[in-house]
Amino acid sequence: MFFHIVLERNMQLHPRHFGRNLRENLVSKLMKDVEGTCSGRHGFVVAITGIENVGKGLIRDGTGFVTFPVKYQCVVFRPFKGEILEAAVTMVNKMGFFAEAGPVQIFVSNHVKIQKDSEVRLKIIGTRVDATEIFCIGTIKDDFLGVINDPTTA
Amino acid sequence: MHRRPLPLREDEQEDVEALERSIQARYARSSHTEYDEETTDVEQQALLPSVRDPKLWMVKCAIGHERETAVCLMQKCIDKGSELQIRSVIALDHLKNYIYIEADKEAHVREAVKGLRTIFAAKIMLVPIRETTDVLSVESKAVDLSRDTWVRMKIGTYKGDLAQVVDVDNVRQRVTVKLIPRIDLQALANKLEGREVAKKKAFVPPPRFMNVDEARELHIRVERRRNSITGDYFENIGGLLFKDGFLYKTVSMKSISAQNIKPTFDELEKFRTPSNDGEGEMVGLSTLFANRKKNHFLKGDAVIVVKGDLKNLKGWVEKVEEENVYIRPEMKGLPKTLAVNEKELCKYFEPGNHVKVVSGTKEGATGMVVKVEQHVLIILSDTTKEHIRVFADDVVESSEVTTGVTKIGDYELHDLVLLDNNSFGVIIRVESEAFQVLKGVPERPEVSLVKLREIKCKLDKKFNVQDRYRNPVSVKDVVRILEGHCKGKQGPVEHIYKGVLFVYDRHHLEHAGFICVKADSCCIVGGSRSNGNRNGDSFSRFGSFKTPPRVPPSPRRFARGGPPFDSNGRHRGGRGGHDALIGTTVKIRQGPFKGYRGRVVDIKGQSVRVELESQMKVVTVDRNFISDNVVISTPTRDTSRYGMGSETPMHPSRTPLHSYMTPVRDPGATPIHDGMRTPMHDRAWNPYAPMSPPRNNWEEGNPASWGTSPQYQPGSPPSRAYEAPTPGSGWASTPGGNYSEAGTPRDSNLAYANAPSPYMPSTPSGQPMTPSSGSYIPGTPGGQPMTPGTGGLDIMSPVIGADNEGPWFMSDILVNVHKSGGETLGIIQEVLQDGSCKVGLGSNGSGDTIIVMPSEMEIVPPRKSDKIKIMGGSLRGVTGKLIGVDGTDGIVRIDDSLDVKILDLVMLAKLP
Repeated sequence: MFFHIVLERNMQLHPRHFGRNLRENLVSKLMKDVEGTCSGRHGFVVAITGIENVGKGLIRDGTGFVTFPVKYQCVVFRPFKGEILEAAVTMVNKMGFFAEAGPVQIFVSNHVKIQKDSEVRLKIIGTRVDATEIFCIGTIKDDFLGVINDPTTA
Repeated sequence: MHRRPLPLREDEQEDVEALERSIQARYARSSHTEYDEETTDVEQQALLPSVRDPKLWMVKCAIGHERETAVCLMQKCIDKGSELQIRSVIALDHLKNYIYIEADKEAHVREAVKGLRTIFAAKIMLVPIRETTDVLSVESKAVDLSRDTWVRMKIGTYKGDLAQVVDVDNVRQRVTVKLIPRIDLQALANKLEGREVAKKKAFVPPPRFMNVDEARELHIRVERRRNSITGDYFENIGGLLFKDGFLYKTVSMKSISAQNIKPTFDELEKFRTPSNDGEGEMVGLSTLFANRKKNHFLKGDAVIVVKGDLKNLKGWVEKVEEENVYIRPEMKGLPKTLAVNEKELCKYFEPGNHVKVVSGTKEGATGMVVKVEQHVLIILSDTTKEHIRVFADDVVESSEVTTGVTKIGDYELHDLVLLDNNSFGVIIRVESEAFQVLKGVPERPEVSLVKLREIKCKLDKKFNVQDRYRNPVSVKDVVRILEGHCKGKQGPVEHIYKGVLFVYDRHHLEHAGFICVKADSCCIVGGSRSNGNRNGDSFSRFGSFKTPPRVPPSPRRFARGGPPFDSNGRHRGGRGGHDALIGTTVKIRQGPFKGYRGRVVDIKGQSVRVELESQMKVVTVDRNFISDNVVISTPTRDTSRYGMGSETPMHPSRTPLHSYMTPVRDPGATPIHDGMRTPMHDRAWNPYAPMSPPRNNWEEGNPASWGTSPQYQPGSPPSRAYEAPTPGSGWASTPGGNYSEAGTPRDSNLAYANAPSPYMPSTPSGQPMTPSSGSYIPGTPGGQPMTPGTGGLDIMSPVIGADNEGPWFMSDILVNVHKSGGETLGIIQEVLQDGSCKVGLGSNGSGDTIIVMPSEMEIVPPRKSDKIKIMGGSLRGVTGKLIGVDGTDGIVRIDDSLDVKILDLVMLAKLP
């Protein structure tokens, strides 16, 4: 499920970025740092949509780096148990197949004849949330679930 | 008690003797009967043997003759009467080779056993009083053998094999068990046909189900008979009974063990195979349940009823009471709680549950349930992404993500290890007592099972290699594999060793995601994470401004054994010998520092001064004792810092920035951490780094300005000013390393080479930074006056004189002179102002006197009990005697004070 939420992060900025473009530098660095990461709590940060507030910077002793508390709005994606997703099959092995829905990897066990690169609709039956990774297992054994687009037939 | 005297009165008429006898008898009896009535703990305690009681002696006897020996002793006792002073003899059925004899003294025992041939009286052991009761107490082993119980065979071919009880004959103490036969059909056929059979079989045939057709092919007679009692049909082959491939064997109860049997999953699977009906499995369950631990069920556990009327009812545990478990059933219309026997319950999991295995062979693993087959769960392991089959009983629901057992000893999952036979690999799985290691063979994936002791050591050094396009690759860089069996895969590099990369691709399910490839069959994707790479890039950009040999394009090669002497001595500047080796990372192959790695700081003739990576100290080793091939692994940053360090003092300060800008690629580390770490590291080694001002024009790529611009030269005042206030730099006080690295490149710089004399005061920029040279002698105690011309040195002189190390040549010391190809001993007579020395040749200095450049001579290292002169430090100029050597330190007794000092050997020079 996608959420649009406000998150906060302390950004460290090198002194060479100070000046007129400080804010731009800060934002671009924030995007670089945050987009595409995954936190167990919020899920995958898909995109930063805006900056709420940039706090006062604090110069760090010794390094000259400045720490800014930045509040930003972002779109996050977090899979939940029971959620129905459409995913692309990335790998098939004897135990089942792995599918990817965006950044999330989903494992589906004991399937019947699924090919790589086909698209499936699946239901998440379990999630494992680490600090830096979310992994799901899913099932296609339910009504309206299964292959929705097969590369060989298309 | 009060009734007892009665019969006594009746016997009043009897004679005194009879009376006495009866009293005795009664007395003895009454004491017994009283205890019988109510035995309390205290009374029992009173019966325990004390020190006053006869002792129990353990006597060795012939094996198998325990009972016989006891009977013999009994007979002896009857024959000899009270002569034999032992009280009793005990032979225990379960104790072979020993009998117990009760007696007051050891001598009595010896006396009693004398002449018995079954007893070896040599060793008579006293049983401690506390243990005497144990000898005679009978352990009640309530072996509850019933049908379908799992047992293990204790003896014979089937020793240790799992068996299932089919029938129990309690009267004859015999059990019929079902086994997977271990029968060598060929041997059986031979035997039946009367051919010679090897008496002692060298091997035990593997368990295999009996195939009747196979037996018939070998002309073994197979009879099919009906058991009259059970009505089942059995195949009779050579007197052995088979059914469904299983061997049915009737054995003595003593030859099986029924306690603590924990059949493994595999064993049970085998038993299940031929008769694939569900019943057998459920029966197997009951045995499993019998072995369950106490408190198996906890409140809140999801359970399912597996037996009885309520079979398949799901519920949750509410309360556990001994055997009964109160469950809250899932179904409506049932009472709120139901009491169910523990044995009728099984834990229940649903696909998607995250569980942890708490017992069994897979203990410690966690994963998600992907499939439930009755009481067997299939779990997708978190670590290996592989299926694990476990019993539902062995797991608990848990959100914990562990990797199972990931560590044995010092070695952890995904570590790079060096193996016995000098091969290496990554641990991809940790098993109960061994590791699965993906070997570092790029041609094909090779996995071997390695025991702990077969691992030599962990390899956790960071190496850098070059990919196909000569881009430096370091750990954590993402690479794509361009050829080989894993072509097209992509992932971060986890380990680098000997030009082999271990790449982790999470889509690669084999070998825990690890792929072993050659470095040159990969290409780096995106930028490099290693902060040194930027510097490396800038190298190529500005390569034209540099003299070529700065960056070693390939491992350095030089003629080992002979120091490469430059014919142009002056060019060699203040440093003892500046050749390609300086600045490279080397490994010490021999001597007390064997195995250490370090950076070459200085070269002096045959000896090389190496700054150890691990110990923050500079040691001197023989040049032959180092191996230079490590240079491949020289981190680019080091190299580049060498090449450019002095011209661009602020250069490394960019390093933290770069690492800062690419933290996202590292999945494990938070970017802040990385960013914080790097600058500190740099600061420690390079005092310029954090304090230097940003120079934007540098980034614009205007190298011309800095390549030659004097104001960025390290000796110039501005950078000196930056150096001084460096905070937290522990190295500021020991500048040997810093200075030299800053000063190094100047020697080969074009500008430098053009200078008419390297020692001219007009080029102070180069000079002050090379204090470890032996070519000029500031602050010599010998009274070398400071010439005004070397004013540039003044700032440095006191420092060097006081606590800088570095051996300077001094008068009176013995040196090896390499001049005109030969090598001769000599004694320095005088040190001249420009650093060269007047040397008197010959071991006592009596030969010709010549002028020698510092680079053309080297100090003769002193040996133990040599007379020495201290050439550096606060004791410079003092003479003494070397009374011992400890690694790189010499133990010196000073001549004047007779004090004993420990000094760096490098600072000691031999006196003639």
